[in-house]
Amino acid sequence: MLGETKPGTQCAEFDALLTEAIDGTLNGQRRERFDQHKAGCPACSTLFAEVVSGVAWLNEVEDVEPPPNLIHNILAATSGVAQQAAKAEPRRTAWERFLVQTRIVFAPVLTPRFGMSMGMAFFSITLVLNMAQVRIRDLTPHNLSHTFYSSQNKLMKYYENMRLVYEIESRVRDLRNASDESEREQKNRRREKNSNQTQEQNQNSEPDPRPHREFSRGQNVQYVASLNGSEPCLMTHSGLLAKPRREI
Amino acid sequence: MLTLFTAVQGRQVEARLEEAQVVAQLVRRCASGDPLAWEEIVQRFHRRIYNICYRFAGSADDAQDLTQEVFIKVFRTVGSFDGEKASFNTWMTTVARNLLVDHFRKKRNDRATDSIDSVQGADEDGPTLADRLASDGPSAQVHVESRERQEMVHRALRHISPDLREAVILRDLQDMDYREIAQILKVPEGTVKSRINRGRAELARLLQRTYKQAL
Repeated sequence: MLGETKPGTQCAEFDALLTEAIDGTLNGQRRERFDQHKAGCPACSTLFAEVVSGVAWLNEVEDVEPPPNLIHNILAATSGVAQQAAKAEPRRTAWERFLVQTRIVFAPVLTPRFGMSMGMAFFSITLVLNMAQVRIRDLTPHNLSHTFYSSQNKLMKYYENMRLVYEIESRVRDLRNASDESEREQKNRRREKNSNQTQEQNQNSEPDPRPHREFSRGQNVQYVASLNGSEPCLMTHSGLLAKPRREI
Repeated sequence: MLTLFTAVQGRQVEARLEEAQVVAQLVRRCASGDPLAWEEIVQRFHRRIYNICYRFAGSADDAQDLTQEVFIKVFRTVGSFDGEKASFNTWMTTVARNLLVDHFRKKRNDRATDSIDSVQGADEDGPTLADRLASDGPSAQVHVESRERQEMVHRALRHISPDLREAVILRDLQDMDYREIAQILKVPEGTVKSRINRGRAELARLLQRTYKQAL
């Protein structure tokens, strides 16, 4: 009970009941206990006096008159807010809402940098298509299939032609090889014939007993000379050397 | 006596309920875009909000700007008001209080350099409030003295801590009940009562000291 418990607790309870006491809603035994504690506790008594004084001061305060143009200013400011809100969110059709959503989705893509890149890519592709003589109308599905089949036919024809060329080339090469072989056989035969004839001649004739001599255009050059009806003889510039042999 | 008090209280409660219903209807119309309902709300509440702002901010110019800000915020967020959680009055006071707290945080440094004995207005060479009260003497008119006392209280309010000040203003100057104040300040009712008591006592001590100096 207030006034009988420890001082700290009493003062806390006093503080809790103070507002009710000031408001005039504290009655009965609680009011008696409150007054009893107030009379016995100097700190709480002082607090009560200060609070009563503060309330008295505050009761003297009256409402201040707002400026006369305040309502007008508030309405003007809020109508501005309403207009801004109306401007910010105008009523849109379904198509406009779709466009707005699309812009939001593609916002990262719709940047000047991306636009420049796309422009350069388009320019490059167009340039390549022009160089390749590809027109836009060639890119329709019908024309694309037509181009595909014509290209396929061309490729097939080219392949066939190439095969023919290779066949002809291989034939020519075979013929050439065949003629070379026959020529080689003929040569071999001739060589064999010649060698046989030479062997036969060697067997019929005597071996040359003369020693091998070197002839030059100097004074040692030897000539075979003969006169009409006479036997040929071997001569040099200096004079008659010897009688020639019969074989010469 | 007790019966009379109870009957008066009952009539006050009925009047409050009726007003709450009217305000709730106005808020619904305003949320649906009725400009006349909004104008009616501004007419009803501008004086109250202006006074709260004036007591918190301390100057008429700041109070006017803050009142406009409060109403702009209320206008923007009136659709989010839930009548089941709190009355419109409480909700609007909460909006005002939050804006005022922000304003106070911005101007904290200004307040730290302010003094209860500082000169009024822009005239730096003029007398302080205490000097003027002292120079008025016993022959000063009652009306002028009352105005000066109100000014003293107003200036003293700016020198108590914000937690105590807002509780005192809402209770003693705006006549709000403890439950509503607890909702606005987001603290228990016991804390609200304690803050009110300490605020009143601190204000009384400040004013007593100043008044003694003046006399």
